[in-house]
Amino acid sequence: MAEFSTSIVGKGNVSVINLSGYLDAHTAPTLENNFTELIDQNQFKIVVNFTDLAYISSAGLGVFMAYIEKIRDNKGDIKLASMNDKVFNIFDLLGFPLLYEIFGTEEEAIKKFIESDGIGTK
Amino acid sequence: MKASAINISDNIQFRLFLISAIVLLVYKLFISTPNSLVHMLISDLLILLTTAFLFLSLLGYFEKRKASPFSLIMNIGILNAFIFFLITFSDSFMSLLFENVNERINNPSIASVLVTLVYLMLIVGFITYVMVTLRHLFFLRQSNTQQVYFVTMLVFFMLASLTAPYLNETKFAFICDTFLIVSVLLMVINSIRISWIAFIVKKEKIALLVLSIVIAILFIVNLNNSGDGTLHNNLLGSFAPSVSEFVNIVMLYGAIYFSVLFFTTLFHIPTAEAFDRKAEEVSSLQYFSKLITQVLDFKELAETVTDITTRVGSADASWIIWKDDEFAPIANKNIGFVDSEHISKFILKKIKWDELTDSAFLKLTDLENNHELSQPYKIAAVSPLKSHGDVKGLLVAVRKGDKKFSDEDKNAIATFSDYASVSIENSRLLEESIEKERLEKELDVAREIQKKILPEKNPEYDELEISSVFIPAFEVGGDYYDFFELSKSKLGFVIADVSGKGISAAFIMAEVKGIFESLAKTFLSPKEILIRANDILKHTLDTRTFVSAAYGIIDLEKQQMKLARAGHCPVLLLRGDTAQPVKPSGIGLGLSDEKQFEENLDEMTLMLKENDTIVLYTDGITEAKNENMEDFGEKYFTEILLENSRKAVDEISRKVIKEVSMFSHNHMQYDDITLVILKWKQKIKIDGDKEWQNSAPQL
Repeated sequence: MAEFSTSIVGKGNVSVINLSGYLDAHTAPTLENNFTELIDQNQFKIVVNFTDLAYISSAGLGVFMAYIEKIRDNKGDIKLASMNDKVFNIFDLLGFPLLYEIFGTEEEAIKKFIESDGIGTK
Repeated sequence: MKASAINISDNIQFRLFLISAIVLLVYKLFISTPNSLVHMLISDLLILLTTAFLFLSLLGYFEKRKASPFSLIMNIGILNAFIFFLITFSDSFMSLLFENVNERINNPSIASVLVTLVYLMLIVGFITYVMVTLRHLFFLRQSNTQQVYFVTMLVFFMLASLTAPYLNETKFAFICDTFLIVSVLLMVINSIRISWIAFIVKKEKIALLVLSIVIAILFIVNLNNSGDGTLHNNLLGSFAPSVSEFVNIVMLYGAIYFSVLFFTTLFHIPTAEAFDRKAEEVSSLQYFSKLITQVLDFKELAETVTDITTRVGSADASWIIWKDDEFAPIANKNIGFVDSEHISKFILKKIKWDELTDSAFLKLTDLENNHELSQPYKIAAVSPLKSHGDVKGLLVAVRKGDKKFSDEDKNAIATFSDYASVSIENSRLLEESIEKERLEKELDVAREIQKKILPEKNPEYDELEISSVFIPAFEVGGDYYDFFELSKSKLGFVIADVSGKGISAAFIMAEVKGIFESLAKTFLSPKEILIRANDILKHTLDTRTFVSAAYGIIDLEKQQMKLARAGHCPVLLLRGDTAQPVKPSGIGLGLSDEKQFEENLDEMTLMLKENDTIVLYTDGITEAKNENMEDFGEKYFTEILLENSRKAVDEISRKVIKEVSMFSHNHMQYDDITLVILKWKQKIKIDGDKEWQNSAPQL
């Protein structure tokens, strides 16, 4: 099967998970580990960058659902960024845009976190 | 069959023996002229016959049991002891019975004949038994071609013993002397063929050494005791002279055989240890090569490996250092966990795990805190267990004393670790293939569930042509579609796709079917049904699992279709030359709470026109991949549908499936494929007809 890999980059108090390759039932555990890792470190502001992701299956989508509740309970969020049309289409069909904020670029997603932080502190 | 045949012939021999013994008894009782040569000869021949029959029947008895050389030798020893007592005490015993024994010998009474006969039979019985046992010893580990030597020897024994009493003091004495000399020669020849001795272990050889000399001496003593002048000799000499001779000859044979046995054993002792080790190695390797095919359990295999290592390497303890999450001693043999762990740490410090290619030897005296070990282990042999060129574990054997591992031990351990590597690898492969088989079985179950869940046949309506195709993927994908004949004029339909794969997806499918079955009967709006379905699934599914679905109801009366969609692929409407995706908004089932789901769910109503074709599908079609990992795609899918939209629904399905399979023929079907096509046939609007159509039986 096709390869899948992730990398985590910290940008300020936001963590960015970069996805690349094919995310399906077999590769999903890798991403799940990333989320558990971040949650263990109390990193709840997470942006997932889809730039290099070629394909996502329904099981791949499930990973985001598995952690969102816990992250939002801790005043964090998962924001999705930089999807290609095909991947966006899959998210869109299932109504994910109603459940998650999806941004054109990673920067916009991070900016959104900073803005909401600002509102929060005021 | 064979066993019973042996039994019968056995009985016959035994009966013949009894008959000849009785004849002998009768003959002896009634014709008692001891000095007549003819009578003597007849009685000797009768005794000979009796002995022969006894020999044969004992032979048959011996053939049936598998005796070890040791039990045979013990038998001979015990028999000899009996003979010894018989000969020694015959004198005093006979004196008790009869006042003047020597007188009685010359002038036998009935009582004395009977007693002498019993004595004779005892001697004959013991001697025959000794002979049969010796014969058995002779044939141990010996090819049957040697039989001729033994038979020849027996014949000469007979000849010598028969001729001796009659010719000894005549001028023909040379004849019986010749027989005797040939007999002795044959005895010697037959005695040096002792091949079974090599196959017994050292301990047994030492025991044999003692036994053989004791028995040889017994034979000599018996031979000496039965010589001239003893009562035994007198008794037999007059009663059955050839038997007396025969006893002497057998005693001589026994003495020679056991003397030779003694020396042979003596010469075997120095090499006994090496021979034992070789035998041990051979038997261990045999045992192990059997295990290669037998062991299903890795743990069991590891235990066997260490067990055999201690034996072939003459080690005091053995274990395997195995790397699972971390290095740990497993399958400890004759050593506690604490000691083995302590030594293992030392070994791992001294030896680079990955670089060990051959067996290595370490002095454990260098071990820090050596005194903490519960046993004074001195030296360790460490061999790699490799598979696919990687070191998977280390086989350790340790010794307590100052004795170093010899070259043979080293070789044995090295050879053995190679064997162990192979079988450990086999065991692992086996485990993997069992796991794979288990998964395949599981998938079989999942496919079976799926098959039972999906409708067996499509409903039939005059106004609707319906076609449905379902192609399962190897890993069950969780596709589901169904029809609900709600009333004569209303048909509900659903298509759904459970996220994930395999047996869990199949179970959720079953749940989803149950939910839709019950909701379809209660609610008459697709939106309502999906809202309820989401409520249920949100609470039952785990957070990462969801179901995409589209639910529609076609009202044949009103000629309209209502449709709601919960995250599923759009429904395609083929009308004329266009294909429109019908895509009312909606979130997948189980993804959002009731409120959010309801707020975002739309229901569409569509007026149907003649030849409107409604296409329901799952992403198994649009995401079917070719060898370049390109998608079949919605665009291509739509094109094919449009090209064929005027054809019958079955024909359209066939075309689509054919194209999909051609497109992805070089790539495994990764997801289930479901395609349901409904085609609306405009019914003629005549009132009477309408009535008739609605009541028509639906076949």
